[in-house]
Formats: sequence, structure tokens, C-alpha cells
Amino acid sequence: MTPAQPPSLDSSQTQPSCSATPASANPAQCGSCAPKTSRRDFLKAGGMLSLSSLMGTGALMTHSDDAHAAAEWGEHFQKNYRLMTEQEKIEARDRLQRRYSAEYGKPVSVDITGAQPGVLMGYALNIRKCIGCRRCVHACVAENNQSRGTRPGEKIEWIQVLRMERGKFEAEKMDHGYPEGLGIQVGGNAYTPAGQVLEGQFHYNPEAVPEKDATYMPIACMQCEKPPCVKVCPVRTTYREGDGPVVIDYNWCIGCRMCMGACPYWARRINVTTPVLPKAEMNPVTHYLGNRPRMRGVVEKCHWCLQRTRHGRYPACVEVCPVGARKFGNLLDPESEVSKVLERKNVFRLKADLNTFPKFFYFYD
Amino acid sequence: MKKIAIFTVALALCGGALYAAFALNSAQEEAAPTLAAQEAKDPLVCFESRKGASEVEQREIKPGLPNVKCSPTTGAALWYGDPFDGTVPMGKMPGLEKLPEGHAVVKPRSEKLAILPMCGTACHNGVGPSANPPALPKDKRPTAIPVMESLVPDLKDLQHGRGRIWCLDCHHTTKRDKLVDHFGDPISFDQPQLLCGKCHGDKLRDWRDGIHGKRIGEFASDGKKRWFTCTECHNPHNVQDGERNRGFIQLQPEPPPQLPNGMKDARHELVHPVAH
Ligand code: SF4
Ligand code: SF4
Ligand code: SF4
Repeated sequence: MTPAQPPSLDSSQTQPSCSATPASANPAQCGSCAPKTSRRDFLKAGGMLSLSSLMGTGALMTHSDDAHAAAEWGEHFQKNYRLMTEQEKIEARDRLQRRYSAEYGKPVSVDITGAQPGVLMGYALNIRKCIGCRRCVHACVAENNQSRGTRPGEKIEWIQVLRMERGKFEAEKMDHGYPEGLGIQVGGNAYTPAGQVLEGQFHYNPEAVPEKDATYMPIACMQCEKPPCVKVCPVRTTYREGDGPVVIDYNWCIGCRMCMGACPYWARRINVTTPVLPKAEMNPVTHYLGNRPRMRGVVEKCHWCLQRTRHGRYPACVEVCPVGARKFGNLLDPESEVSKVLERKNVFRLKADLNTFPKFFYFYD
Repeated sequence: MKKIAIFTVALALCGGALYAAFALNSAQEEAAPTLAAQEAKDPLVCFESRKGASEVEQREIKPGLPNVKCSPTTGAALWYGDPFDGTVPMGKMPGLEKLPEGHAVVKPRSEKLAILPMCGTACHNGVGPSANPPALPKDKRPTAIPVMESLVPDLKDLQHGRGRIWCLDCHHTTKRDKLVDHFGDPISFDQPQLLCGKCHGDKLRDWRDGIHGKRIGEFASDGKKRWFTCTECHNPHNVQDGERNRGFIQLQPEPPPQLPNGMKDARHELVHPVAH
């Protein structure tokens, strides 16, 4: 695959080279399945007569040069991203670029590049190599514009690194347990926490990792092929893209958190507060379905760094892992890193019994 | 669905006037660029894989876009704006011939090894003090040389090979600024994989196929990548890392996530165990 040019910061008006011809699973490309009457037409017909609408229009007209107000206004009329035409996507993109650039005081690009033909993204993590250093967690935050405040709910991280205790089985406990004397039903070593994850064990903070008595297991969105989160979304704003990742059109998210309940991997986070994103730390290279700044009340999660991977670049977490435990690539290319891992290593999917078919694999040497 | 949309829009229309007013305020706050303030400070240098190996200095590649972001807690590189910063072509590597020219790059290790230029001349110029070729100890036990041990402290207690290898199994006998291959020919310090693969063939194969070690850049199998070489991650004089017996050295972790609201510390579950 030949990667498209990464979006340049100053070319805010030029259209990315390959925004069309995505793979077939994307209903956005099915021109004929868009509803005949769009939301916009409907509102134009009925809504314009109401008093509230006149007030709103008035406000817009008086401050029509204000990027933020104009963008907010436009955003309320835009369709679900999947149902937008190419032209509408470009309009939405330009609107957001204007608003974000004004808001963060630097040129911000919003990419709308679609799925690249012949690419099905996959991820593999070497669970034996991970040392639990959490660099991936913080790389993801640096890349993906998560909220990073200090008050409750203001700090959002998409990767969780679970600490698993190695545990120890003891000879002294062998003949103990309960009920004692009547034939033991629960053995004395039952509560040995070998490989067990207890609540709070991702908050570990020793002087140095890896610790002698622990192993580590990072989890984030598994980009399921059969994603339960997609099935439950009442407004269908979260969906599977043609090249694999499950994405969210933040503008249509109503914050109902159904997906958070449905996801078996604790992958989704909600912005309960207005996100705290300092201007200097904001990453100005964004994707519409990826790391563009989110608003209060919407759900977000890992999207395999669409703003990077759609242009051929590794995800941010892959690039910083000091032990090289993280592997990313095209599952359709037999020479890619993930394909090689699947071919050669011992591999498992987390909670495979749930039939979610993750495209995120764990392996070990 | 339609209902929700209608409500949302109705609300938005009512709020339109308010929105516009707010937006004006926030737009005016933007003026002060924060990056200018950062530039005044000393250059920020962060380490990449482990401390003591490759490092990278932070600078701006485009307005508002740094080449690297460093962790304020540990000083580790946390994000790459430019993955090919300071790299050179990898050089010939058996098994990677298929890669397009210039698509495999590495960061030269020799620049980082401060005493390397001296090694080839000052002490080991290929001519032994009393004999030529130099007289080597017959038992191949490393000999304690105070100057060497003070220059490279790890040598005092070599943690590699469990006593079955010694200095000149890896270092060239006469060209001390080079490593050595099976034929006695010199290998550059920038290509340690050619040396390490002598014994660790399985690791070399996995590394060559991209499933051991790390690459950054483009993920496509024929894409341009910066390859991290063996010694950027492993300290060859200390791979056993004492008792822990792991190839990778211990590091300070990045800070933990926010605790759930109301939980005082991370040991909550351990202190309040679930009853059976
Ligand atoms: S891991 Fe969770 S959020 Fe990700 S696709 Fe699967 S169900 Fe959805
Ligand atoms: S792939 Fe990107 S979005 Fe997903 S966890 Fe890694 S850095 Fe975060
Ligand atoms: S950066 Fe790598 S080693 Fe560190 S916690 Fe993440 S996966 Fe594990």
C-alpha cells in the first residue's frame, strides 16, 4: 500500500487525496440509502417559522464573522457522518477547522480521509514483553487530545495497563480451607491472587517497573469485528469503518452510555465534564472520526489513531513502547508485522468466548 | 431519532443568541502564543528506549508542532512528531534486501558512545605494548583493567553469558572501535544486530520480520521505518539485569490514572477484600 501524504497544516482548504473509494462495509458510500428527506430539508420547511428559530437566526446574522458561533450553528444542522455526501463532509471539515483554529490559536487540520483500499488494520501486543511503564497510555493522550484536568472525571486515558500478581502457592495452606475437618470444598490456596486483576490494580505506582512479582496487561478498544457497542447505540453514531476500526461521530453522540455498558473490554470513556485541553498541548493534526477535540457529554475511545494510520503511520502507542511490545499492521498483507505474529507466535484474543472477534491480539514468545 | 434531533435543534435555536455572545469572548482570549515561552528555556532532551541509550532534543518542526514530546515525570520520549529525526540508512542487512532503498533507517549508536573515538587510537591502536599481535590471556577470562572499569562501570560485573563469554567474543581484537563477526571481520557499532545475531539467531529473525523490538514511521511492510537496534534497548554488558533475569532494565513508570471518585488509594480492594 502506498500511504497518502499526511495532511499538512497549512493546506486547510485542499482535500485529502483519497477521501473516496472506501471498502464496502461503509454505508456512507451507498448513495441510494440516504433518506429522501434530510434533516436539513425537514427543518427548513417547518422549523424556520418558529419564534426560536428567528431568534437563533438573528444571533447568527449579527455575529456571522465569528468562527465559533458559525460553526456551532452549522454543526446543529449536519447529518450523521456516515450519511453525509462528500460535499457535506468537506463543509463540515472546513467548519471545524475554522472553529478549532480560532479556539486553540494555531492552524488545526481536520482530516476526512476514508478507508484505504486493501487495508484491514490489526494490532498485536506481546504480553510477555510489556513492563507496565505506561508510556503508551501517555502517548495516546498526547496524540489524541483527551481531557487532562485534575478534578474528578477530567482526566481521560484510553489505555489501561492492568497489573497481574504472580501469586504464590504455599504448602502450609494445603490442608486448610473450609469447611475444615469435613472434607475441604474450598482449598487453602483459593485466594492466591495469581494472575488475578483486582479493582484498582491499574493504579500501581512503584519506583520502577517491571516488578518482580507482577506481569502487565494493557487493554484498550479491541476494534471488534462484531462490536457489541455498535449494536446498542440508539443513534447509530458509533460504527465500524471499512478498514476495521470502530469509530464515533462525536457530533451525533447523545451521551447515553449504552456503548459503555455493552463493551466487555472497558474501552469507552465519557466526557462528564467540559474537556480540559491546554492550547499548547493540543495536537493540531486531527481526523474527524479520530482525535479532534471532543465536547462535553460525548463518549470517546481508541480509534487506532485514524489521523495517522489512514496516512500509513504507526499509531502513537506503538511508537513509544520502549520494549517494542506493540505491533500494528495490515492483516491482509502476509508480510506485515501482525500477519507474521499470527503466523508464528502463540496468540489469543481477550474474552474470545464472547464472540466479539477483536482485531487486537495478545501474543507471547 | 427524529424526535431527539428536533429537540436538540429547538434548544440550539433558543440558545443561538447566547452561544454567539460566549463565542466572542473565547475568541478574544486566544492571542498569547504559548510556544514562544517554551523556546526561551533550555533545550529539552529526552531519552528514547532506556536511560543511557539514544536521546532526542526537542524542537519545533512546524509552528505548534514539536518533533518529540517528553514526559515531565520520567524524561522519556512520549510522542514522535518526526520519526526519522537524526537517522541514517541502516546499511546492508542480510534478509532485508527486499526493502526499497532508504526505507530502513537507524539512529547511529556511535555518536552516543562518547569514548568510542578514543578506543581505536589512544589505548588499543592494534599494536600491543610488548607484542604484536597483542598477547591475550590464554584462559579468556576478562582481566581487570582499572582504566577500562572506570570508563565503563558495567564491566566490573559482566552480566551477559554467565561466565561463558568474554570481551573479545564481541569486540574486535585489534580494531577496538569495532565489533567482530564470526570471521573476525569488524562490524560497526551502528549495526550491533550483525553481532548479536551470532548467538541470538531466533531473536534476530523475529527482529528482521518486525516482531521483536521496535520500529517507528510507516506501518506498511515496505514502508519507511526507523529501526531500533539491539543496543538502543538492551545494555549488552548488563542484559541479565541481576536477579530479575530479564533482558530489559527496570524503569520509572509514568504516573497512574485518576482514582475513581471517592477512592482514597489504589489498595482499596486489597484492604476491603470481597467476602467469599
Ligand atoms: S472493544 Fe468495546 S468499544 Fe471497542 S469495538 Fe469492541 S465493544 Fe466496541
Ligand atoms: S492506537 Fe492510538 S488511539 Fe488507540 S490506544 Fe494507541 S495511541 Fe490511543
Ligand atoms: S508502553 Fe509498552 S511496555 Fe509500557 S505499558 Fe505500554 S505496552 Fe507495556
